[in-house]
Amino acid sequence: MPVFGAVIIVLLTRISLAILPLLLCSCDRLPETYPPPQQRQPQAFTPDPAAMMVEMNDPDAAQHIVKDIYEPMSSSWRWTAKQPTVRVLVYAADNVKLSVDFAIWDDGFKQTGPLELSFFVNGHLLDKVKYATPGYKHFEKTVPAGWLSSDTESTISIDVDKLYVSPQDGVKFGIILTRVGFLR
Amino acid sequence: MHAALTVLAILFGWLFTVATAWALGTLLLRKLSLSFYRWEERLFAFVIGAALLSAIVFELCVAQLAWKPLFLVLGLAIIFYALRSGAHHLRGDEFPPLPLRWRWVFLVVFSAFTILYLMNALEPESSPDGMSYHLGVVAKYQRTHGFPRITTDIYASLSEGIEMLFLWAFEYGRHSAAALVHFAFFIVLIFLILSYARRIGRPGVGVAAAIFTYASPVVGLDGTIAYIDVGITAVLFALFYLLQIWDQDRNPQLLIPIGILAGFSYAVKYTAFIAVPYALCFIAWKSWRARKPILRPLLVVSMLALVFILPWMVKSWIEVANPFSPFANRIFPNPYVHISFEDTYRQYMRVYALTSYWQIPWQVTVRGDLTTGLIGPLFLLTPIALLALRFREGRQLLLAGLVFGLPYATNVGTRFLIPAIPFISLSLALALSGLQWLLLVLVAAHAISCWPNVVQRYCSPAAWRLVKVSPKAALRIQPQDAYLKGNLGYDLAQMMEHFVPADAKVYAFTQPGTAYTSRQVLVGYEGALNELLQDILWTPMFRDFQPTRILTFHFSSRELRKVRVVQSATVPEVQWSVSELRVFASGRELPRVSEWRLTAHPNPWDVQLAFDNSAVTRWRSWQPPEPGMYLEIDFHRNQALDSVVVESSGDSSATKIKLDGLAGDGKWTALAAAPIESLRPNRMSLRQAATAELKARGVRYLLITDDNIGANDFRSYAKLWGLKTVAEQGTARLYYIE
Repeated sequence: MPVFGAVIIVLLTRISLAILPLLLCSCDRLPETYPPPQQRQPQAFTPDPAAMMVEMNDPDAAQHIVKDIYEPMSSSWRWTAKQPTVRVLVYAADNVKLSVDFAIWDDGFKQTGPLELSFFVNGHLLDKVKYATPGYKHFEKTVPAGWLSSDTESTISIDVDKLYVSPQDGVKFGIILTRVGFLR
Repeated sequence: MHAALTVLAILFGWLFTVATAWALGTLLLRKLSLSFYRWEERLFAFVIGAALLSAIVFELCVAQLAWKPLFLVLGLAIIFYALRSGAHHLRGDEFPPLPLRWRWVFLVVFSAFTILYLMNALEPESSPDGMSYHLGVVAKYQRTHGFPRITTDIYASLSEGIEMLFLWAFEYGRHSAAALVHFAFFIVLIFLILSYARRIGRPGVGVAAAIFTYASPVVGLDGTIAYIDVGITAVLFALFYLLQIWDQDRNPQLLIPIGILAGFSYAVKYTAFIAVPYALCFIAWKSWRARKPILRPLLVVSMLALVFILPWMVKSWIEVANPFSPFANRIFPNPYVHISFEDTYRQYMRVYALTSYWQIPWQVTVRGDLTTGLIGPLFLLTPIALLALRFREGRQLLLAGLVFGLPYATNVGTRFLIPAIPFISLSLALALSGLQWLLLVLVAAHAISCWPNVVQRYCSPAAWRLVKVSPKAALRIQPQDAYLKGNLGYDLAQMMEHFVPADAKVYAFTQPGTAYTSRQVLVGYEGALNELLQDILWTPMFRDFQPTRILTFHFSSRELRKVRVVQSATVPEVQWSVSELRVFASGRELPRVSEWRLTAHPNPWDVQLAFDNSAVTRWRSWQPPEPGMYLEIDFHRNQALDSVVVESSGDSSATKIKLDGLAGDGKWTALAAAPIESLRPNRMSLRQAATAELKARGVRYLLITDDNIGANDFRSYAKLWGLKTVAEQGTARLYYIE
């Protein structure tokens, strides 16, 4: 049957045309045993320490703010309310310090007097500090390793014992926060 | 001016493809001296010619000769030769004219929907699958002038018979030309339905069935975008039609187009493979009943079918070591598609978002949200089609509809019913053929109920359907970019196009519109490597993925040539994973030396991930654990050992392992039946280690959308990941791995 013969020829020609060039460019056979690969050095990964700090003028700061921190007013700092809280991820759980840069406003201080600030990490009270003068302040203290986890965010909150109440509109203010987070 | 030229290019790409296919088909049919009715010949010529042209483009792609000028010369030569051979001279008898009433019904409804559909096909392509993979692979072939070896995209391993035609059209008219080629199949399908009914002397049935199919919302949308479901339906219907003619005429020459179309069915879509056994069984049964030889016709058909099937199998076999990729990975294990992917994919496709299979009739006919699309309320009357069993033609139609509808069991998306729709439509119309007035009422009701403005009154707002067409966009009065802006897939593609260097690789969890970018994108689930990268990126965020379970085997010190950690449990729904496998002697870890040979079963290709000292990479079985799976170290000499530590993760805690060793005597012995388990919480962020692994694999960009798992983590802790935001648009961010 001529049709049958023609079909066979077409079949063989087509298959050959398909296979040959592909075979030429893909002759590699996958191995099933391998030598040990290059060894990774986990210590090599030391992220920028600033990665654990929340700068109040960072455009992404809102991602970290949980509560009681007001919107910035074209400045590098933000007013807080009673219990400013942020969440931050640490890249290591040990040898980590809580670090806070803030200020107590002179005019507010006249109304409130000395302030007592309580610093919490994941609900644990890290320290309680009384500030008897206004002006720029820095707080820094080592956080016990067991309080932190490197794969879930940690919560930092600062409790301000007394708030300044604006005589104009009654809005309450705590401290002026510049940055808060962890250092290592 | 630019808009007019764009539209002209689109129309040229479309018509040039259709003309070349038609010319090829006509040449073959004339060569075989087959006689059909005049309309039939035109229609069969296109479908058969499409199969031939697709095969030609395949060969050109294999030879890396898919060049626009070559297509032009070849196409013009084919058309010229066909015209010289008199292909344009009409042959065959005309059908008796359509009854006046039916002619007007057809003209009115067909014209209205054709204007709508033509505009939709002309619009810039924005369909999910069209702009991602049907044209995504076509755009890659167009850029590389052939088949590049693609191992990280499951869609590139599917048979792509119609995509080959898209490529021919794409060279000239880009995306819309390809969609219009699919639309050409749609038109041909409608006229095939009409012609078949006219051949059996039931023109009214033909008009009704043609409109039932043409107006159906899911068919209308699918057939006017760069998909292939309506294309395969046209091929299957043409095959059925030719088999019916062969049954009447017994002309052996008909077996050639029958064989071509049976094979082309597989070449267009895997699920249409059913066409081959259908055709063979049909011929065998009819020949046996007529006491005619069986073997020879079966051989002709099967051989010709193989001509169109085997090249696709061979391509997949060579490129991704599996002729049926991305399926059958248990039979053809390979490093490119995971068995777990296949299992999950199959499972999802069988249910979609359905909570019960009883939802299907209402979903596929009226609501259309859970199964992606609707065929129209008319098809709730499908049981009435069984009345067509009283006719011989009815039995044939219902049988074919049942056979071609079988793949629906593997994928309950409404689209997968499309191959059965013409047969259901004809059977339904045939069943009611004695009640012409009722047929007319049904045609009118169906046409009205399927018009987009009416569909939205009863379907789910989330149903996949044709919402509206934009003639301005279709005619490019509104530029393509302006029209597509806001479409997530397109926006992602443009973001990459603008901010990613040409040779850079991007990893994305969400499928972008790859047809609109030339950048190489690895999408989360679309390949084994992609899934591995996804696993690496998720490990820092999910404690259960991290190597916190330390499994230690202690045994009396002995000299061993090989050790194996062997799985001993069957646990469905989970995977076995090993982050690190360490061997010790006298309390000191043995350094991993280059003489060692490592292997695993299954998935030997990833075994090094358990020996790289990285906490973010792990060897995984990528299928449910079974007794006998193992990881093995061959020390290539006798080695004194006394303990082995397996670092594993919480998500494989249900698995059980034991330790075997091969001593110098060549015998495997059990070293320890069970390990001592302890927990070692992770104290360091693994984020930067994860992105470093991507970098090591040549991936420097991450494309993340807000709905991706971990999107907030990437955004909030970009510095911890070692990422820099390169671009941001809407819900998407493009990061550079520093």
